[in-house]
Amino acid sequence: MEKHKQKMSGDALLKISNVDAFYGTFQALWGVSLEVKPGEIVALIGSNASGKSTLINTISGFIHPARGAVEFNGLDISMLDPFQIVTLGISQVPEGRRIFPEMTVSDNLVLGSYNRKARSDKELNLKRVYEHFPILEQRKNQLAKTLSGGEQQMLAIGRGLMSDPTLMLFDEISLGLAPKVTDELYKAVREIRAEGITILLVEQNVRRSLKEADRAYIIKAGRIALGKNAAELREEEIKQAYFGI
Amino acid sequence: METLGDLSRPILMGILLGGLYALIGLGLSMVFGVMKLINVAHGDLMIFSAYFAYALMTTWGIDPILSLTMGIPLWFVLGFAIQKYMMSRAFGISMEAPLIIAFGISLILQSLAQIIWSPYSRGLQAPYALGYISLGITTVPRTYLLSFVAALVVMLLLREFLRRSYLGKAIVAASQDKRGAELVGINTGRVYAFAFAIAMATAAIAGVFFGLTFPFTPTSGFGFLVVAFGVVIIGGLGSMLGTFIGGIVLGLTQTLSGHFLGGSVQMLFVYLIVFVVLAVRPQGIFGR
Amino acid sequence: MPAVLVAVLAVFPIIGIPRAWLLYLFLFFVYLTMANMWNLLAGYTGLTFLGPAALIGLAGYTLVIVTWNDLPFYLGIIGGGAVAAAFAGLIAIPTFRMRGIYFAIGTLVLPEVLRNVFYIWKPIPGDFIGGGAGYIIKGIGGLSLTEFYWLALAIGIVSIFVMRIVLRSKLGLGLAAVRDNDRAAASSGVNVFALKLYAFIIAAFLIGAAGAIFYIYQGSIAPVSAFNIRWLMIALLATVIGGIRTEEGPLVGAAIVVFLHFLLARYGELSLLIQGVILVIIMLLVPEGIVGLVRRKTRNYQSLSQLGARR
Repeated sequence: MEKHKQKMSGDALLKISNVDAFYGTFQALWGVSLEVKPGEIVALIGSNASGKSTLINTISGFIHPARGAVEFNGLDISMLDPFQIVTLGISQVPEGRRIFPEMTVSDNLVLGSYNRKARSDKELNLKRVYEHFPILEQRKNQLAKTLSGGEQQMLAIGRGLMSDPTLMLFDEISLGLAPKVTDELYKAVREIRAEGITILLVEQNVRRSLKEADRAYIIKAGRIALGKNAAELREEEIKQAYFGI
Repeated sequence: METLGDLSRPILMGILLGGLYALIGLGLSMVFGVMKLINVAHGDLMIFSAYFAYALMTTWGIDPILSLTMGIPLWFVLGFAIQKYMMSRAFGISMEAPLIIAFGISLILQSLAQIIWSPYSRGLQAPYALGYISLGITTVPRTYLLSFVAALVVMLLLREFLRRSYLGKAIVAASQDKRGAELVGINTGRVYAFAFAIAMATAAIAGVFFGLTFPFTPTSGFGFLVVAFGVVIIGGLGSMLGTFIGGIVLGLTQTLSGHFLGGSVQMLFVYLIVFVVLAVRPQGIFGR
Repeated sequence: MPAVLVAVLAVFPIIGIPRAWLLYLFLFFVYLTMANMWNLLAGYTGLTFLGPAALIGLAGYTLVIVTWNDLPFYLGIIGGGAVAAAFAGLIAIPTFRMRGIYFAIGTLVLPEVLRNVFYIWKPIPGDFIGGGAGYIIKGIGGLSLTEFYWLALAIGIVSIFVMRIVLRSKLGLGLAAVRDNDRAAASSGVNVFALKLYAFIIAAFLIGAAGAIFYIYQGSIAPVSAFNIRWLMIALLATVIGGIRTEEGPLVGAAIVVFLHFLLARYGELSLLIQGVILVIIMLLVPEGIVGLVRRKTRNYQSLSQLGARR
């Protein structure tokens, strides 16, 4: 579990350099560069069609950059398949959760450890997830589709944890959930960071994401508009970059 | 018009026949559930397995069920290869492509069988599969009972496999949410190949039992494709138990319509039921 | 220019073109019609229709009924087309509810159902060849290859015409929208069902008529051949080899398929085997067909700078 957490501080864990990405002939990302250092929480802020999810999916390997590179721990992962990227230690908690509705909570979690490296630590990881989210342990034999929205999100996060990641990508975890539930989720996110896992999060709620993050990047129409420490971002800068006002 | 009291035989026969039909449909159900692929060559692959067993039987006198020790791994590997090298490419080409390729494979198998073994019907024989066995109320052909038992065993094995093993769960997960499966590190390409391979292995088994029960010709496979799909559609894709019940429904449809209306219309009713269910409730009785 | 071509083709039989060539062209135009219509359905409307045998068989038997009632054979052709179209209209209701792959299987079942029906039902009572509903076609004794050829030429030209018109019309535009995303099309006000229905009925009519013409030439019909999967194979192979979703594709494809049939005729079952292999290989290596391939190559050759994604 500790194996991939050691990294020289100052060196980026995830480095995206000048990435262009396309959906067919439509260009979604233009020369995107950003960095996530070990142990950080970095927020990615942008309006709906800004390319946030495209960037997340490019990191996870569902889209391959036409130009530029995605590096993880110094390794170029740009052309790898999604399942290989999971094995290397990047785990995505996707927008819309994408849990397995007709399978039990415990099966969903167990599948999170599908890749061979994480399988041996399966019991340990499961225990860890149940500590973060006791409700999941209570409901472990229930079908995932019977869970409430918030619980499903917890399940998605828990499943992401099961693969023993070094870097976790959170895509809109608070979507459609009440503030109280979101609070619980972010408490867990902080706990996860405290365990040494680096986090890149995409979050609709700008204030929330800035509250939790160390640094933030603003993405607009597929380009990175700004990258700063979260505390230093001013309202006007956010509005300007987000809405172009 | 028969009296109701005579129904016991058609009902029992229908159930047993249904087991065989379920056996034919199980593999198809899994493939369809996971990949939404219609393998129109399934029936022909099944019959080819019967021909393979036939070849072994006539050349070296190998017992058909025993020949499965060779047939199953062979069909497994063949299935893996077909999915990995042909179908996966086809998915990326267009919506119709996998269908058309499966069609091509179907044609190839049918003509190959016809060239090698001629259009005349063949059958598999085994000493323990001859004759009738008494089941209390009535007697049924031994082969029907054997096929039913085989179907039950295969169904239960598949069910447990899908529920308990990592690969099995991965197959189920990939069928419920492909993206989600990829996100947990499942190599969906490989999982699909395994699913197809398993389906082919069941087709091999089905072929042998089918061949023991009925005479077959190179074109028999196609008729049973429709039956297999009927089984899958009625039972709900992906559900092994549902498929089994679907088989029984069709088996009963056939025997009962044959009983009441005569042998020549029985297949007609089977096809009609398939068509009706497709139109009215394509997700099946057990489907989501 | 096309009119000249048609005129030339029309006089072929009179100017002493060899029988074999006429036969080849006869089959070409019949297959072309079926391929064109299959292309219309599967390529342009998104209806992967696997039951052309149902339409052809029905048309053939309509021809039988018409000719056995001492009516002229050309009424049989029209009648055959009409019955096929009516049948299509009828099954549109249940089958259009089936999405995508279910539609394919649903339509695949249809010829099987009909074949079984014709095993037990004889449209003209009595005992004839084939035990079941096997009949010879009456009232065509006086016809020669020349007339068959003209019939086929006519229907072939009509099918090309229909494709032209449909694709360039509002119907064609609507079909393109439906094929790409029928839910989106529906929400923008396109009457999806009506569009599919028109395409289906038109295609069915022509497929039926072509089938009837074929049976006029063949002279006899029986359930096992009428509702045979080989009709689907012909339409499928021709469309795929030529190029699905192209106007010229079926022309190229049909020509090749007839050529293959002639070439491989003496090999019996091997012919089907080879066709199956060709189908698979083409689908994997050249899925856009010959026409698609040629277009792609000439487009690449013409453009000097390449824009866009390499993945």
